[in-house]
Amino acid sequence: MIALLVISSLVFAIESYTASLEPLRKLLATIVVPVYTVAELPYYFSGKASESIASRNTLNEENMRMRRRLLELSQITQQFISLREENARLRSLLGSQEQVNTEVLIAEIIGVLPSPSRHEVVLDKGEQHGVYVGQAVVDAHGLFGQVVEISASTSRVLQISDPSHAVPVQVNRTDLRMVAAGTGRKDVIELEYVPITADILPGDLLVSSGLGGRFPRGYPVGLVTSVVVDETQSFAYIEAKPSAALDRSRHVLLVFSELPGLTQ
Amino acid sequence: MSSETGTITIMLSLFVAMILAVFHLPEWSPDWLAWFRPSWVVLVMLYWVMELPHRVGMVRAWLLGLCLDVLLGEPMGVNAFCLAALTFVTWSIYERLRMYAVVQQAVFVFGAVLCIELLKMLLWMQFLNADFHMTFLWVAMASALVWPLVYLVLRRSSKSTGF
Repeated sequence: MIALLVISSLVFAIESYTASLEPLRKLLATIVVPVYTVAELPYYFSGKASESIASRNTLNEENMRMRRRLLELSQITQQFISLREENARLRSLLGSQEQVNTEVLIAEIIGVLPSPSRHEVVLDKGEQHGVYVGQAVVDAHGLFGQVVEISASTSRVLQISDPSHAVPVQVNRTDLRMVAAGTGRKDVIELEYVPITADILPGDLLVSSGLGGRFPRGYPVGLVTSVVVDETQSFAYIEAKPSAALDRSRHVLLVFSELPGLTQ
Repeated sequence: MSSETGTITIMLSLFVAMILAVFHLPEWSPDWLAWFRPSWVVLVMLYWVMELPHRVGMVRAWLLGLCLDVLLGEPMGVNAFCLAALTFVTWSIYERLRMYAVVQQAVFVFGAVLCIELLKMLLWMQFLNADFHMTFLWVAMASALVWPLVYLVLRRSSKSTGF
């Protein structure tokens, strides 16, 4: 008993202060993957079932809606291409570095950590797909989180709403920089240390600022929902709603940013 | 009763317990329900130590705990130690536990889970800057409440496989 206590404390201490137990953790993570897979099966099958018993009408409607959406998006993309060229030209005129293209990898969420106080999900892509710790994850609507742990074929992602997570953002309208921290609720993030005199209004879009080098610049993070200014405090109390569908997305994108020297 | 089928039953029940430990509730379920997740692995482990003390050793419990640590994304060693300690304690009083009524056993379960969860939370507060939260109490309560069910199911399964 005493021996096991000593070993446990040793393992705990070694893991807290060094990275020498990473291989062991990766190995064990690979072993326990089936547990997550089986735990997700009910949702997988219910999804499949609702897909296969959807009526012809519903499918037609969905098809129509998607076509329309595709048309819209391709129109936006056309503009985007010319805008990007123009942006690059102007940047080169200013003499600043051209922004690099980023590559993405589509991943599926195969597990959700059940604890309500920690917001983490498990993805089906891991080390063998080139995923690395610290990699940014986005979904169709905005910034989703970052990779905190990898095994051979899976990775664990900390969502932006986790209480221990924070992301550098800026207000799209005014370029005001700040830090958005998770609150432990999926639908609320909090803006920290914003002076009460700051120009920020409900409805402002927050985008990732790229400071810190972890998240690529310009992904939507959230929409400001409430700004509470108390004159007796030095900082305003500001809440935002994450843009990403943190509790609904099934597919997310792993972003490979190519900023040299900043990825690790 | 061959020992292989027994081992398979034990492994299978522990696997199911681990699945239950990470199974996330559907979106339409109320938020508060997530706080009342019994520690399934502890319950199943406790049952097997009580019924077959010679089959479930402390080292195996420790290894299982290590897997649980990785599964839940927690620092390695914590659940490992908790499960090993639980095995040790249960081992020393398993004869008495067997004589207890299920309700009395549930009280023991409540105490055991409470200790484990409290220890975990103190560690989180110390090392991971977590906030104090009453979760440990809810988890212990939920565990004690589902104990009769776990007991019944595992008893049936162990009887039907013949030991």
